[in-house]
Amino acid sequence: MTELSRRNFIKSSTAFAGFAVVVSNTPALLAAEQSSHSGIGTCMRFGEDGLPVLCVPTPDMGQGMMTTAAQIIAEELDLDLSAVSVEFLPFVGVINDDGIAQDGELVQGAGGSHSTMDLWPALRKTSAYVRALFIEAASQKWGVPATRLSTAGGFVIDQKANEKISFGELAELAQTVTVDKKAAQPKSISSFRVVGKDAKNVAARDIVTGKPVFASDVSVPGMLHAAIRRCPHLNGTIVSYDSTKIEMMPGVRAVVKMDQFLEDDQTFRVIADGVAVVADTYWQARQAADALEIKWNGDISKDDSTDLILKKCNALLKDGEFKQVQKRGDIETAFKAASQTIDVTYTHPSWAHACIEPHNCIADVKTDSAEIWVGHQTMAAPANIAKKFAGIDAAKVTGHFYRMGTGFGRKYVQDFVAEAVVLSKRMKAPVKVTWSREDEMEQDYPNHMGAYRVRAAIDSKGDLSGWHIKTALDTGRDWVARDFPAHTLENTLGEFAKVPNHISHGAWRGPSHNSGAWVVQSALNEAAHAAGRDPLEFLVALYNKTGTVKAPNWPNMDIDFRRHAALLEKVATEAGYGKKMPTGWGQGIAVHYTFVSACAHVVDLEMIGDNNYRVHKVTSAIDCGLAVNPLGVRAQVESGIMDGLCTAKYGNFVFENGVPTTNNFDSYLKMRIDEAPAVVDIHIMDFGDTDPRGTGEISLPPLIPALTNAIFAASGKRVRKLPISENL
Amino acid sequence: MIKLSINGTERSFEGDEEMPLLWHLREEAGLTGTKFGCGIGQCGACTVHVDGEAIRSCSVPMASLNGAAITTIEGLADGDNLHPVQEAWIEEDVPQCGYCQAGQIMATVAFLKDTPNPTDEDINNGITNICRCGTYYRIRKAIKRAAENMQTA
Ligand code: FES
Ligand code: FES
Repeated sequence: MTELSRRNFIKSSTAFAGFAVVVSNTPALLAAEQSSHSGIGTCMRFGEDGLPVLCVPTPDMGQGMMTTAAQIIAEELDLDLSAVSVEFLPFVGVINDDGIAQDGELVQGAGGSHSTMDLWPALRKTSAYVRALFIEAASQKWGVPATRLSTAGGFVIDQKANEKISFGELAELAQTVTVDKKAAQPKSISSFRVVGKDAKNVAARDIVTGKPVFASDVSVPGMLHAAIRRCPHLNGTIVSYDSTKIEMMPGVRAVVKMDQFLEDDQTFRVIADGVAVVADTYWQARQAADALEIKWNGDISKDDSTDLILKKCNALLKDGEFKQVQKRGDIETAFKAASQTIDVTYTHPSWAHACIEPHNCIADVKTDSAEIWVGHQTMAAPANIAKKFAGIDAAKVTGHFYRMGTGFGRKYVQDFVAEAVVLSKRMKAPVKVTWSREDEMEQDYPNHMGAYRVRAAIDSKGDLSGWHIKTALDTGRDWVARDFPAHTLENTLGEFAKVPNHISHGAWRGPSHNSGAWVVQSALNEAAHAAGRDPLEFLVALYNKTGTVKAPNWPNMDIDFRRHAALLEKVATEAGYGKKMPTGWGQGIAVHYTFVSACAHVVDLEMIGDNNYRVHKVTSAIDCGLAVNPLGVRAQVESGIMDGLCTAKYGNFVFENGVPTTNNFDSYLKMRIDEAPAVVDIHIMDFGDTDPRGTGEISLPPLIPALTNAIFAASGKRVRKLPISENL
Repeated sequence: MIKLSINGTERSFEGDEEMPLLWHLREEAGLTGTKFGCGIGQCGACTVHVDGEAIRSCSVPMASLNGAAITTIEGLADGDNLHPVQEAWIEEDVPQCGYCQAGQIMATVAFLKDTPNPTDEDINNGITNICRCGTYYRIRKAIKRAAENMQTA
């Protein structure tokens, strides 16, 4: 069993504290004893063998941050990635005046495809600073000028004297020297040898040999296991339960009522009303929990059915009240002058995260301190959750972080950590909470569902001249009503309405963009056809004309839409877009920016009968600024392609009378290798950027419209309702 | 009492015989490389070998395993020498989050025993594990690379 003993942790943290550096834009070496909760971490420490261990400050859920961050550190320290080990840094943020743990200059979280961008400056500067310390230490030791020394492979080298000394041997001295800020400048891009080159997943060997790298693999001494029955009705409650029978079952230690905890004005579920069974093993806890008879009251959400909510969304589009969230020029003028118009409605259901590793967390809550073992997208969160749910001072909470078996925005939320904290406090012992697959789906914070009506005007030249979009969703997300082309054309109107319900929504890979891109890129494709123009030529002209515009939604970056045109032209050329294809084959094209980066795809597919298809090839181009790890960028594009193909075809997370009824992989279907295209051709664009941007969420949104546009090209069928498998 | 061997070590088991092998591996044998993903035989994250055949350990009760020889991901390599399928997985840089990959690798090892020279169609029919990160493109390449390496070995 993987015992992560306290003693082991202290041993490693001593070695770690031996080299404490402020990880920030203005790095400085600080005394080791200050090293908890003061914004201090390090980019490296020495293992017991004296070899460098690179310390990655952000979580990895498959998006590759462990490798990307390690590359950035290895670059500045002149280390060889294959000769070092890599681990996660603990939370090194600060506790603010209200006692809340928060990130310092270093953002220790994964969201909005921001990790690489957030880390890039601080990690480079910190690593360059540490390298300068080693050089200065060697310079003093040898009595030679620092300027003639260099570093390679974990050594400081004096070529002239033909001498070298390892970083490990210099560690003690390096902590006593001071360096000139100028000597600690990060390298210039032209001298990169690690950044910008393909790097394989640094955790690959551990993964393929089954090493315990996930939180679910961890055990701590004296740990109990909990399985929880949570109310399956949205925000429902327990009427009664009888635990007498299960209390006698093998291994059962306690049956604990879990009290519902709602946030955000009593709507957002953090802890579901339920009953926890705590036992010696998970299997025992699960068996007893499953045997428990519980009477639920789900009246509160009995109207929350997918069918009914979507019906209400569509009814709103006809004659409901809307709020204007974008208005430019006069939309009716554009329609009066139009030579062509389209008026189309798109509908999609909810999608579940289906994180492959069901949520789990170990908490050990003591009287005035706590330890937490978890994979979480926000490293500050466990401290704040222990404070909120067990009254522990956030500064007294130690978090141990692990790889996540995917996150997709779901592992950003408090619930699974809060449950472990509540139960550990109650049991006065370490408690591990493990969710079943059914738990993970039934208690998901899903993507939104809804309907969108787009009216577009095309002028006598065949150009898009008006855009009127109305969105009726089950959330307050008005992104698509505000964004491109609603914020760029001369005459536009973006309107928004919400159908009330009891679903607690969450961030799902590319929130809002994920389905919004499908709506916009489908409607633009329909508009191009209405104008009698080729969609590629129509889009390229539109984007080139648009130029650079500040995004109306977070993170409000300036978007140069001419790059969208370049991406489209690249994928079109590489895919041979427009080439002659056999009957029943078709190509679809689309482009979209999500938060910070943009991606275009061409999908090549072949119809199988009238209601099915096979995707043969996807050609992609991504603009993500400087690609720190091209191999990793391609992995993320591939991931978005597969997730997009899967979600568009099968994604249908169904609510019936307030109960999610698609609660495992037999009802919430996932694509397997047989439907994955055998050819994926990805191009990383170089527009000369010197800083990296994100990749994790970028490729999925444009994939779905590229797919449905390809279905139209192949079959003449316009997909206006998802999932495709149920609507073609 | 159930007697079985796991990665070459003889073990005996006297607990709840209805318990699936998965939980014996994870909770009692300390072998956490085998993963829980669905519990209903759908995802393949829990794939191990029983007498050389790939099975989904979440759906196999301990009662059926008397005398069985089990191999898990931890028992696949020969010391520091990785199995060619593990090598190919690293070479093709398959793992993203990595959670499904023990199951993918165990499924592939058994698959290649029966189908040493697989076509795309063979792979489509023979490998049915879910990868939520969508590493399918690289899995396909890694399967072919492993097949090639095993033939020339
Ligand atoms: S956990 Fe066994 S098949 Fe999914
Ligand atoms: S690598 Fe993440 S689920 Fe397959």
